[in-house]
Amino acid sequence: MKFVCLNCETYMNFEKVEKPGEGSLGVFFGCPSCGAKFSMVTNPGETQMVSSLGVQLGGRTTEAQPFEMTRGTLKEEAQAGSGQMAAYLNEKIQGGQPVAASTPGKAGEKSGGGCPFSAMVAEMGLTSSGKPANGGPGKSEFSWSPDAQEKLDRLPAFVKPMVQSSVEAFARKQGYQTITLQVMDDSKNDSPNGMAWTPEAQQRLDNIPDFIRPMARKEIERLAKERGVVTITAQVMDDAKDKFMKFM
Amino acid sequence: MAIEKDLKTILGKLKYSDDAKVVAQITDQMKQVQARMAGIKHKLVVMSGKGGVGKSMTTVNLALALARQHARVGLLDVDLNGPCVPRMLGLHGRSLTMTPEGALPPVGPLGVKVASMDFFLGAASPVRWKGPMDVSPVWLGLMEMNVIREFLADVMWGELDYLLADLPPGAAADKPPVIAGFIPDLAGAIVVTTPSEVASDVVQKSVTYARDMGIKVLGIVENMSEYRCPSCGELNELFEGNTDAMCEALDLPLLGRIPFDRKLARTFDKGEPLLDETYPTIQRYQDIAGRIRTLLDYKRVLAEKL
Repeated sequence: MKFVCLNCETYMNFEKVEKPGEGSLGVFFGCPSCGAKFSMVTNPGETQMVSSLGVQLGGRTTEAQPFEMTRGTLKEEAQAGSGQMAAYLNEKIQGGQPVAASTPGKAGEKSGGGCPFSAMVAEMGLTSSGKPANGGPGKSEFSWSPDAQEKLDRLPAFVKPMVQSSVEAFARKQGYQTITLQVMDDSKNDSPNGMAWTPEAQQRLDNIPDFIRPMARKEIERLAKERGVVTITAQVMDDAKDKFMKFM
Repeated sequence: MAIEKDLKTILGKLKYSDDAKVVAQITDQMKQVQARMAGIKHKLVVMSGKGGVGKSMTTVNLALALARQHARVGLLDVDLNGPCVPRMLGLHGRSLTMTPEGALPPVGPLGVKVASMDFFLGAASPVRWKGPMDVSPVWLGLMEMNVIREFLADVMWGELDYLLADLPPGAAADKPPVIAGFIPDLAGAIVVTTPSEVASDVVQKSVTYARDMGIKVLGIVENMSEYRCPSCGELNELFEGNTDAMCEALDLPLLGRIPFDRKLARTFDKGEPLLDETYPTIQRYQDIAGRIRTLLDYKRVLAEKL
């Protein structure tokens, strides 16, 4: 945070920090041109916000200790209650009076079970589960062969939309109208980077242990992309091998 | 309006100076994290969107498995509000040793070094912060992030092959991926799930969010895959999920499956962890640790096998 002296059109200099009261900081600034001075005073909450950054205004005067902030801020067993900031605000804003209860809703207005976002959710036409109120996803533009549909339906509900969307994106790219088991299988080998793999390159990739294959595929496709190649061939695989040999 | 225009003009002519030395201190803090982490070869986080899937059990056992494979291992328990790693490793009641140079972590079984919030707390005490803002969620978030920063900056791990951080539960715009972002040169994240569809659904979201944050997800560990009978050792299914399908959809390897093993769990509950590497469930952790090492060394594998 900086302050500007509008008369002199310059930043005011940070001068010092004082502690005018418990939980409060007085930060002093002065204009280097006209000499004007002022002090910014923080409330307890602002003071604690600053201290929880682990910094000291004006710079450190002593060496930092390990876990200084953690140890300095952990509450010990015997220390009393909480909510001092709420009490402070109550004192300053409400003059010590209890904060009035929030305005009750209009007659007939539904509370939404206390959720602060229920009105927004209702406006968006969503149910509380976050799903569209008027039914599930739209009808597929593709026709699915019975065996492909059966395979899709066997997937767990949480995976199905992701797989369906990925297979249909592949079918759209290839110009297919019908999704068969073969299209589903081919879509697995489709690269999100738009890369094609020759059978020989694919076979060499299959030599890699399965748990490392996804990472290998990404690395090789990244190399191909760097070289402006869109098909992974045996030559690209040789280049990749040479590249990785350098890390041995 | 006129003042706003004037102010913009004025600021355009001025050069910022950090005379309150705040930016300099924050920069120093970041440098200290970098310096402290410099002696660690591989930094990994273990996370899950879902609570209760066994992240800590997985992290602790992976740390022990790596240590059995002759690696120097550190374990950082980042679950500030529910730290349980020290208790599992029989270190509850121990503390960090404060020195002017930093905090020395206690050493647990197989030489695994451990740092945890538990070392600052009494027997049954929750984490409670003092000060006027102790009930403000905004302040608590800031505070917790800075406590984690202190764990990264102040613990003297020394030279390590692996540092595993056990992250608290959380899926999307929540703490875990942000915490992971604190760790310089993070090698990647290991995600723990159970075969239940509910867990997989949330875990899937956390993987997506972690990737959005630029965190490399190395793979998935399926915990509680089956139930190992403590009497006869027979394995039975606990859930009817499909982690394979999730891994395929997320293009991630399944690093291994761990059964729910009451006998093993009990030893960790008592703080006397079973360390016998011939025990079947521990062998599974050994296999997963081996795969993680291979993944971290994937360039060598590719050079050999391509």
